[in-house]
Amino acid sequence: MSYTLDRKMPPAPADVSGPKPLDGGWGWMVVFGAHISIGFAYSTPKALSIFFKEIQEDLGASYSEIAWISSIMLAVMYAGGPVSSMLVSRFGSRPVVMMGGLMCGVSMVTASFGSSIVYLYLCIGIIGGWGLCFNLNASLTIISKYFLAKRPLANGLAMAGSPVFLCFLAPVNQFLLGHYGWRGSLLILGGMMLNCCVAGALMRPVAQPCDPRACAPPQEVKQTNNTKSSGSCMKNVKTFVDLSFFKDQGFIIYLVGNVMFIFGAYAPIVFLSAYAISLGVEEYSAAYLLSIMGFVDMFVRPGTGLIANSKWIRPRIQYLFSFAMVFNGTFHLLCPLMTTYTLLVAYAVFFGVGFGMVFALIFECLMDLMGSQRFPSAVGLVTIIECFPMLLGPPAAGFLVDIFGDYKYLFFMCGGVITTGGLFLFVMNVYNYNRLDRASRGDDAEQNQNTTENQEQVSSSEAQMELMDPEAKETNTAQLDPEDRQETG
Amino acid sequence: MQGDLTAASPCIQGRRGGRGGETMQQPHRRRDRLTQRTEERTTMTAAWRQLPVLILLILAPCRTVSSKSVDPTTQPLVSIASQPTDTRSVVLQESVDQTTQTLVSIGPQPTDTRTFVLKGDTTFKNVELLNPVNLSLECVWTGSQNKQPSITGYWRKDGAEVQDSRVTVNLKEQQYNLTKVFSIASEENLGNYTCVFGNEFEMYFILGAPQMGEIRDKPIVSYVGDLVVLICKMDEKKPKPNTWTWYKFNGTDREEISAATDPHRYLTINDGWKTKLKVKNVSEADSGLYHCGAVYNISTSMTHVELKVITIMEPLKPFISILIEVIILVAAILIYERSRSKKKEAEANGPNAEPKNAQPQTEDNGGEESSSVRQRKA
Repeated sequence: MSYTLDRKMPPAPADVSGPKPLDGGWGWMVVFGAHISIGFAYSTPKALSIFFKEIQEDLGASYSEIAWISSIMLAVMYAGGPVSSMLVSRFGSRPVVMMGGLMCGVSMVTASFGSSIVYLYLCIGIIGGWGLCFNLNASLTIISKYFLAKRPLANGLAMAGSPVFLCFLAPVNQFLLGHYGWRGSLLILGGMMLNCCVAGALMRPVAQPCDPRACAPPQEVKQTNNTKSSGSCMKNVKTFVDLSFFKDQGFIIYLVGNVMFIFGAYAPIVFLSAYAISLGVEEYSAAYLLSIMGFVDMFVRPGTGLIANSKWIRPRIQYLFSFAMVFNGTFHLLCPLMTTYTLLVAYAVFFGVGFGMVFALIFECLMDLMGSQRFPSAVGLVTIIECFPMLLGPPAAGFLVDIFGDYKYLFFMCGGVITTGGLFLFVMNVYNYNRLDRASRGDDAEQNQNTTENQEQVSSSEAQMELMDPEAKETNTAQLDPEDRQETG
Repeated sequence: MQGDLTAASPCIQGRRGGRGGETMQQPHRRRDRLTQRTEERTTMTAAWRQLPVLILLILAPCRTVSSKSVDPTTQPLVSIASQPTDTRSVVLQESVDQTTQTLVSIGPQPTDTRTFVLKGDTTFKNVELLNPVNLSLECVWTGSQNKQPSITGYWRKDGAEVQDSRVTVNLKEQQYNLTKVFSIASEENLGNYTCVFGNEFEMYFILGAPQMGEIRDKPIVSYVGDLVVLICKMDEKKPKPNTWTWYKFNGTDREEISAATDPHRYLTINDGWKTKLKVKNVSEADSGLYHCGAVYNISTSMTHVELKVITIMEPLKPFISILIEVIILVAAILIYERSRSKKKEAEANGPNAEPKNAQPQTEDNGGEESSSVRQRKA
């Protein structure tokens, strides 16, 4: 079985004159910036919960009213995806991330002066959520622009920002709370989030056809390309609100698998310490379980990136993703058997491993599927759809706990859903690849020798296409267009 | 949440505080009773005596109202320290905690004696008392390896030996039994009672008023000009305190805070097992330890809450420093980039006329091409 990966559309003609991905050099600084940006995006909603008790006492609200702050923030962060994608494709990553960092900072600073819970919903939830949304989306996009050969590793390193920042923010927040109260802490946290602007500054734009800077080079040769590129640039922007992605089978498969994963992924985290306490573990040790998970996660993400980057795994990365999901789900199913603290620690470790593996690959697989051109809009669409399972998962699990009075059904549900999702992905991917393989082999017979070679190289990766010299690429693009459209149909 | 502390006089304070309606009724009834009695007297006495009596009328209810915190469920005449000859009904409860056993007596019979036994392998017991009571403490010990027929046993209170407590304990049914009745009348009778068997074994009872469990170790941080609410809670499984008192320490002196002393600044709301002290318009001088006491018949159990008042400048300093750091870094990165691109432009405008990418490392791309091609071939 040949492992045809990227059956996406060929890069738009404008891209032909674009740069080849750097895969190193300044790219690592960009990864560092993305690490910070993504770190704040994922860890802030969780780290804010440290302030909730104090805010609750101060403003006289109930616990569920306060918990909404985090939920609103997460919801807006995911739901704002398409808007963020549009902005990124129009302006590039750097301004969007800097804007996001500024919004986050402003949101926290204004929230520190708040005196009602609705005000906090607005400031932290909505404005903060938008800021984080810009951060997340733009950071992922720029990685896809800067890396290709080492992209899984870059993704793994950038996504590792989430557990790193959570481990860092939790004690810092405790310290700030003790010294400055929740208002002062929010103020200082806002200052810290302004560092996302620094992360944004690091994201030096790649010469984009849509980027005004690259569109005005001193060379004469580029002028002709420019007029061509600005036309297709506008066309690209218009297609980003298009729902043509849903015609792509690979995208649908990915989306279904992802939705199932997200539905079951967060509930065990929310209920793990409660489950441990119900087994008789003391409160402090139960909280420690989550720290163990986060700690393991921190190392697993770059590690998975490294593994996924290897020669053997890279072409089969979608299978690694489904394996990671099944691994994750299996351990959730086994969790009810873990009745002692040592076993729970083991569970936490494996949970961290599985969780880290999936999250390291979750966006890498989408990039792999969509290619760097369609990725920005694809990721926006994916995040807004993922918003629903993410918000529904933990309450549904909590509902199960309330009905049955036993945590094991929660773990069965989550494990079951995730494992099914993983198996679904695996089976559908095998089927899909085989189908595309047959289609491409059928087309081979119609091509002459040169183009056959080129096509095989192209169908096995997007990278090779971009690496060829411009003339050959242009001829191939013209010839491949009709075939690729056939494949994606 | 903002309590209205604009009280014209201490008397009116009783009307405005805490739970509006309920707290009003008690002082009202009290005032009515007293006014009734004094009114009767005025009709009988000569006219020139009316003036001091009128003054008495005004002052008497004020005193009773302001010295009691507003707690509607207490009986009007509550004595803090009573003799064991008080007659009230008995209710016994046991708490769930295994090492703490609470002996809750809401008023014993005059010569009522509650027996408390400590035996087996528990070496101490926490006994929580509400009221003065005669307590019989009994220690049972199964003895050491060589069980002597009789040992000398005695009692110690807080380290000092209790007078006339030395007795000879005989081994009966493989056990040593040491019992003594203690009259717990007031706060000084509370403490650590240890029964000692010869030189070999000790067990002790800790006698005290119900203690408050959650002691908040972190200070409550507040800003100048804010309204702060300090809360003290007694576990609801334990008996309800008669009332609550708040103190603030000035050096070593204990200064009682009450709404009467400074109604513009303090407001106490006592709600059974919970008490709230609202401090309005805090300033930095209000920082410090606030002690709240749950008042029971036998004693008052205290705990403290720390209040820290800071100005807005305190968190502002780290914030400004982080802001400066961010600005410097962003500027540095952008300036560095601009200088590099200017350098590249200068080079590009030279003899080299080939199209150059925005990225400077074009030479590296060639090497990376071949390496990624190699990676691709699965």
